[in-house]
Amino acid sequence: MPTTVQRSSQRPLPAWPAAEAARRKGGRARRRSLVGAAYAAPTAVMVGLFFVAPLLLVVWMSVNRWPLLGAPTFNLPDNYAHIADNQLVGSAVWFTLKYTVLMTVLLFSLAFGLALLVQNRRRGVGFLRTAFFLPMAVGFASASLLFLGLLSDEIGPVSDALRAIGLVDGYVSWTSGSSASALGSTMVLVLWRFAGFNMLIMLTGLQAIPVEVYEAARIDGASRWQTFRRVTLPLMRPTIALVLTLMITGSVLAFDQFWILTRGGPDNSTTSLVMVIYREAFIKLDLGSAAAISVALLAVLVVVNIVQLGVLRRRSS
Amino acid sequence: MRSRRQLVATVAAVLLTAALGACTDKEATGGDSTAGVDDGAALTLWTRAATESVSKAYADAYNAKHKNKVTVTAYPNEEYPAKLASAAGAKALPDLFATDVVFAPQYASQGLWADITAGFAASGVKDKVSPGHVRAGTWEGKTYAVPHTVDMSVMLYNKDLYTKAGLDPEKPPTTMKEFAEHARKIDKLGGDVNGTYFGGNCGGCVEFTFWPSVWAAGGDVLDDKGANAKIDSKEMADVFALYRALYDEKVAAPASKDEAGPTWLGALQSGKIGIAPGPSVWLGLIEEKGVKMGVAPITGMDGGESTFIGGDSIGIGATSTKQAQAWDFLNWTMSEEAQVEVIAKNKGVPIRTDLASNKYSSADPRIVTINSLVAKGKTPYAKNFNASFNDPQSPWLQTVRGALFGDAAKSLTDGNSAISKSLQQS
Amino acid sequence: MKFVSKAGYGVTGAALAIMFLFPLLWSGWASLRTSSGFGLENYDRLFTSDNGIRPHHIVNSLTVSLLTVGGTLLVATLGGYAFGRFRFPGRDALFLLTLAILMVPYATILIALYVLLGWFGLQDSLIGLSLVLIMFQLPFSLFMMRNSFEAVPRELEESAQVDGCNSFSALLRIMLPAVRPGLITVGLFAFLASWNEFFAPLILLNSTDKFTTTLAVVNMRTASHGSIDYAALEAGVVFMAVPCLLLFAFMQRSYVRGFTSGALKG
Repeated sequence: MPTTVQRSSQRPLPAWPAAEAARRKGGRARRRSLVGAAYAAPTAVMVGLFFVAPLLLVVWMSVNRWPLLGAPTFNLPDNYAHIADNQLVGSAVWFTLKYTVLMTVLLFSLAFGLALLVQNRRRGVGFLRTAFFLPMAVGFASASLLFLGLLSDEIGPVSDALRAIGLVDGYVSWTSGSSASALGSTMVLVLWRFAGFNMLIMLTGLQAIPVEVYEAARIDGASRWQTFRRVTLPLMRPTIALVLTLMITGSVLAFDQFWILTRGGPDNSTTSLVMVIYREAFIKLDLGSAAAISVALLAVLVVVNIVQLGVLRRRSS
Repeated sequence: MRSRRQLVATVAAVLLTAALGACTDKEATGGDSTAGVDDGAALTLWTRAATESVSKAYADAYNAKHKNKVTVTAYPNEEYPAKLASAAGAKALPDLFATDVVFAPQYASQGLWADITAGFAASGVKDKVSPGHVRAGTWEGKTYAVPHTVDMSVMLYNKDLYTKAGLDPEKPPTTMKEFAEHARKIDKLGGDVNGTYFGGNCGGCVEFTFWPSVWAAGGDVLDDKGANAKIDSKEMADVFALYRALYDEKVAAPASKDEAGPTWLGALQSGKIGIAPGPSVWLGLIEEKGVKMGVAPITGMDGGESTFIGGDSIGIGATSTKQAQAWDFLNWTMSEEAQVEVIAKNKGVPIRTDLASNKYSSADPRIVTINSLVAKGKTPYAKNFNASFNDPQSPWLQTVRGALFGDAAKSLTDGNSAISKSLQQS
Repeated sequence: MKFVSKAGYGVTGAALAIMFLFPLLWSGWASLRTSSGFGLENYDRLFTSDNGIRPHHIVNSLTVSLLTVGGTLLVATLGGYAFGRFRFPGRDALFLLTLAILMVPYATILIALYVLLGWFGLQDSLIGLSLVLIMFQLPFSLFMMRNSFEAVPRELEESAQVDGCNSFSALLRIMLPAVRPGLITVGLFAFLASWNEFFAPLILLNSTDKFTTTLAVVNMRTASHGSIDYAALEAGVVFMAVPCLLLFAFMQRSYVRGFTSGALKG
């Protein structure tokens, strides 16, 4: 990750004894580090209290049989062992994987494409950027409800339009008619909502590329495609890394869109992993099992992110 | 370092609290003061959105005449279980909460409600309220919940469409086979009229409307303890086959396949469905839209009558500190005054079996029909009911979809084992 | 480097703009559509029906949003300053830990958070809810502010030090104005997230008088047992979106600059 922190110019030390000078320098550095820690303290408190503490409790819950009321009983490794027995987990893992790959590829391509489209100052570019980013103004739950209405037979225009063209015959349910259409509906929702946000991130990466580099490529006679591959992409690596991390993590943890739009159907074809965790905790009232699946999921995500960042960073350096 | 020490202290504190909290689970049983206490306590009552108006009606009537005051909070149906589980996990349940009656065994077994056996026994109405509800709220011999609302499944039919199709609107079908014939006749009217409708993507809807036909034929869907499923029985298979045929013939509206519940009522309110099973409480709601409706019991393939006695059960939150006062409210809700003036007056079904005909019910003969069904119906009992039958990810919904739209025989056999396995999970 | 030709830009741009704007425009149109043409009937139902929006919902939503925005700005600014400008033990670990918040789903820590809030006496309170929402905002906000602070040239800070400012007054007088676009972006996103939040208020709030607008709107989904009032639902969606859209419009230049000021280079 390229930082923009520059080394402050080294001031010449006064002609004091070396130890004295070192102590003074060390003192200043130590004081500065204390000040820094002080500024970081509110963050540490928030993160420690509201994130780490509950997370540790969850880890503890995952090795217990945890009734809602009543005392927990230690039962390692039961909760974890039973994950394998749980049929729903198997299909959810498969679906979440499939969804993550599809979503990441599509969303990334779309966001990148949009960024390339609007990166240069042209007429109407501000309008376009706003149009693409506007969906972020709607909350995700609201957006899901919006699409519920949009795709509905009762008041939605989609079915009517397709019927008018003749592509569709009679009644069709986009959110629960078939697993393909259910998946498609949720993917369109996510693409609509998040393309603009990721586009902006890509845009900053694109605009950080100095014009001179493009100039040099042009002088060298590189075609547009060659320039893209040899100049743009490599210099975008850190931005791409960030965007991919956000997308992959977001897709693996997807819940709202399936909960509101398709309810995991039809026939459990759009049941994501987090839905399974929700079900374990709140329907089966098995908090230990839900905690175990969550911990496993977290471990996987941490590993995936570390690997991904490592791969991308090695290639950039 | 400051942040790390703080972290360790906080974690220790949290774990300690959780552990300590776990030890102080059940409060003194509410059965000590069997008569209840009315001393001006403020009581909180949680209920699901579908039951909100009834719970509020109870609360308003109670508050008008008592010192205690009950405040009702309603939550969206689908998210209500999550709400209850979170509150329980934090040992912060409300003073009273109502749930769908089929979830009652699970909550009773988890100890989410306080033990009200003594109070209930002393109330004098123990044998006069809906037995299915009482059983649902009983766990290992102790009573934890009493009936709150009763909602039964009946056949709702459109009298105008009946007349148009040449059927006698005062002669609803007395067997399922007859029901299918009537539906086919009405469907012939054409246009956007359909013979019947069902919730093909909703486990709860199907169990509510199809199971009575199984019971009426003398079969069953669950064993007595709720540990084994019997949905691969001949009776169940016959019912599925009947509805499947209606769907394949397009007599059942195509939208039935994807109906997950939210738009079920709307479909019936459109006035374009001939005859379909549904909740008895919808009678008034459909008539509001100007559709003339008739009511008939759900029958078996060749006769018999039955109904799914659903609705809500209510109990005292196990962590409540006002259990005696909460019992005062519960006891009152089962009284004649509450049942007649609050429930029957608003066209609801009283939970009191001895009040089935009261001064309000005789006004409408259809209400008398509905009320009389309480004696002929069942409330299925299973600890893991929600996870096995109602939840969208349940094995029951998968079975339903297979039986209605896929490989029926295989779905029923596989489904039965999957459901039984789910029922037996501890 | 222009990757797209002029004609391509025009046509593609217009088509995409229409596709992206369509759902919102349709939502507004559908919310105004009544059985007799157009009118405000649906909005009327939205506010007056049994489960509809009441003034206290809006007040609660505003309260939570303001608390979340204020709290996030405070923590993220101080934290971003620390991460972007200082070196102290545990800095990288704390930063990574904050980013890890993104990797944990709600359903997992919600019950634990509920317990925790209860222990502090903050259960069923708007303040408790805001604290949780601030925590969820930290990854993005801290990342944003850290990079914003890093992008400020050292010379600015050094000149302040020469003038005798300590770090705090340097922060107030020099750094804050310099990272204003970042602050606006962080504030905007914190507002959006807290205003639209559904699941956290559902679980962490108990009393109806504390409910937020989003809870009321989602409640309309299952209102009147068995039929979705789609038109009123869309009215709810539009109502929730309008403040956000307005903020977007007003702050557009600032948050775009916030993104492009090198704050999200990764």
